[in-house]
Amino acid sequence: MIETLFAQDALATPMAFGLALLIGVAFGLVLEQAGFGSSRRLAGIFYFRDMAVLKVMFSGLITAMLGIAYVTAFGWVSLDSIYLMPTVYRAQIVGGLVFGVGFALSGWCPGTAAAGLASGKLDALLCLVGAVIGSIIFNEVYPSVALLQADSGVQFVYANLGMSQPVFALLLTIVAVLAFWAVEYVEHRRKTGICCFNSPSLKGFGTALIVLAVGLYIATPNGVKATDEAAAGAEQGALATPMPVTSGLLAGIEAAGDHMEPEELADRLLAGDPDLLLADVRPAAEFNAFHIRGAQNVALTELETYLQPYRNRGLIVLYSNGMTHPAQARDYLFGRGFQNAYILTDGLTGFIERCLKPASLRPEPVPEDTAGQIARWRAYFLDGARPTIPSAEPVQLAGAALPGLVSTEWLDENRAHDAVRVIDLRPQPEYNTGHIPGALHLDIENLRGNVGGVGSMLLPARLIGECFSLMGVRPFDTFVLVSGDKVHDATLCGMALERVGHQRYGVLDGGFGKWAAEGRHTDAALPSVAPSDYPVDASADRFTVDYTEVLQRTQDRFAVIIDVRPAGYYAGTESGEARAGHIPGALNRPYVEDLAESDGYKQFKPTDVLAAEYQKLIPSQDSPVIVHCRTGHQASQTFFVLSHLLAYRNVLWYDGGWSEWAARPELPIEGQPGHAGSAGALP
Amino acid sequence: MNAMPKPPAKYMNPYLAGFLLGLTLLGSFLILGAGLGASGGLARIAAFSECVIAPVHTRASEYFGPWCDQPLRYYLLFMLVGTFLGGLISAMFANRVEFKLERGNKAPALLRAVLALVGGVLIGFASRLAAGCTSGQALTGGALLLTGSLVFLVCIFAGGYAAAWFVRRQWDD
Repeated sequence: MIETLFAQDALATPMAFGLALLIGVAFGLVLEQAGFGSSRRLAGIFYFRDMAVLKVMFSGLITAMLGIAYVTAFGWVSLDSIYLMPTVYRAQIVGGLVFGVGFALSGWCPGTAAAGLASGKLDALLCLVGAVIGSIIFNEVYPSVALLQADSGVQFVYANLGMSQPVFALLLTIVAVLAFWAVEYVEHRRKTGICCFNSPSLKGFGTALIVLAVGLYIATPNGVKATDEAAAGAEQGALATPMPVTSGLLAGIEAAGDHMEPEELADRLLAGDPDLLLADVRPAAEFNAFHIRGAQNVALTELETYLQPYRNRGLIVLYSNGMTHPAQARDYLFGRGFQNAYILTDGLTGFIERCLKPASLRPEPVPEDTAGQIARWRAYFLDGARPTIPSAEPVQLAGAALPGLVSTEWLDENRAHDAVRVIDLRPQPEYNTGHIPGALHLDIENLRGNVGGVGSMLLPARLIGECFSLMGVRPFDTFVLVSGDKVHDATLCGMALERVGHQRYGVLDGGFGKWAAEGRHTDAALPSVAPSDYPVDASADRFTVDYTEVLQRTQDRFAVIIDVRPAGYYAGTESGEARAGHIPGALNRPYVEDLAESDGYKQFKPTDVLAAEYQKLIPSQDSPVIVHCRTGHQASQTFFVLSHLLAYRNVLWYDGGWSEWAARPELPIEGQPGHAGSAGALP
Repeated sequence: MNAMPKPPAKYMNPYLAGFLLGLTLLGSFLILGAGLGASGGLARIAAFSECVIAPVHTRASEYFGPWCDQPLRYYLLFMLVGTFLGGLISAMFANRVEFKLERGNKAPALLRAVLALVGGVLIGFASRLAAGCTSGQALTGGALLLTGSLVFLVCIFAGGYAAAWFVRRQWDD
């Protein structure tokens, strides 16, 4: 099977340019040899003087038609690998008529004019200059002719006529051969012909074409299957949305046409809707200054390329400050077959006004539940660092709030979703022998390394982004992190995601153990991955602190420091480090105490139990908390519990941990059990 | 008529030329995954020109706007350059390079020049509207049996025959 450059999305590469040039040379040679470097000869067809255009064009068309039918019938290439132009009836009828008039006036069409120019024809040059001007005029009036371009998708003429491809091809071949004979007869009678009437070469050529067309019919009486599929796929375009889109919400959007209201967008983002792709089409500087959390910055010029994988998959919402550019972009995308692109009503301005403006500043009285909703939106979209989960109802399901826990049921229902990426953090042999179908393997140590002399530090955002690019994950994917018995592998991966600004992730509750214990499907196949270019939000990490900040907090006591290592290490009775003991003022809450084991797998304790236990250690959910362990690994689990399960809003992570602290002799330590004393007292 | 050192070679048999054209198109399908095209390249030249003349305006325009960053990085423009080169090679070997405004012997040069230019404008406009010209839409899409391309092909001839009578003077001998 031939993979064409179009199928590889490689038409904009230097190799494609070189090959296109060579094909162009062949095209130019043929046109010139056929005599199409002469406008007089070309125009001859309109006066029945010289029918060369018909002969060359029709024989070329039939040859290529039979050729492509044969190569697809042999399975050498699939029609899916070839760019099929959509049918746009009105534009192609009007365009064809105007083009025909232009052809008769100038005696040229663009390709032949290039060959004519090469032959020194000044009228070819004039025609080409005119065509450039005509293209510019088209650009200028595009908004008013765009309505002619409502396309009907890819349409095959034989399907429209209710025939199979080989039958139509045979009929067209017969018509062409009869037409050849007729024009030769006319030229012969008018004595303008230079060749071919009753010539053996024409008889041979005509016979060969018909034999090939009959052969095609015998070989594939019903046509090439790929053709039917391509046609069916194109016809179904809008229906072929394989995503589980909530039908009620979708109906709501359809009712509003091509708009999405800011409130709905806010709720979907807050819920971590995996079907939603939010594209900010403003310049990068404006995007960096402020953007709706979860948005991607996509330049208008790259919109179509960037969004191609999401064409008619899920929902694409475009926004800018106002509505003009997104509306144009949406229409453009619609014209390119995107039926799932929407614009944000009233743009960013409206989003800020309607969702983010504090209730207290609004002129109209705001009902209590609306005020609560506004507060949640503000917390999520303006805080940027943490989503605020009402602590009264800790959320257990992804789809309700992320980051958070994802149940095995949810994952089983959603794992086939294109934008749900499962990352399996278990050791490689375990992954290789069986994993959740489609899961990507990741060794958590790939995300750590020596940073500034300290080993086992989470890598900088840029490198993490590189890792994710290699894994082919995309910024709007929802990650489900799956661990074996080390839940902190999943949560450390979560830290990496948060460092690059990716909040859309969940930790699989119970990990792979629960999945397997419930007898859910596994396989050992490699997932299919297309490398991506993961854009990194380098400013997303506002939760990692270094030892200087921790030292400061040990002195001013402005934060609760929690050492999550096992008790013996905290007490100093065990140590694998430069010094034994703990950071002055730190409390000990071993990370394993957040977990409970049942049926052979580890799960977080119920949220109310955890909440009660941490309440004893931390004064309030707004208190600054620093969590650390030996290398940052175990502490990532406590970070996850506090930030995402218990809605603590100010949790910081000391990645360097005890291995760094102990190895810097200038830092104070408490070594003896019982010296933890009054740590955590807040002013 | 100027005396020429060598007489131009005879044109190729049109059916052989058509067959070779078909093979070229088939090659383009198999290698590029897209057919032949010429007006796409011209549109890029147009976008480039407009971007140079009125960069801000063009960038904001809906059709050319997205191309403004790299208007010339497009495979069909390279194909158009190739078409010119192929035509040049062929015309030189066939002794057919001759600088002239091709027209009927009795036709005024100005008439022919104006018609060539105006025809070009119509062609440029129409090929953007129909997303292709005789090569990119009619021939390429026709070989794929795409409905719109064949409709376009039929309409070209309808428009051409309708207009031809009115401009016949340019070919008067």
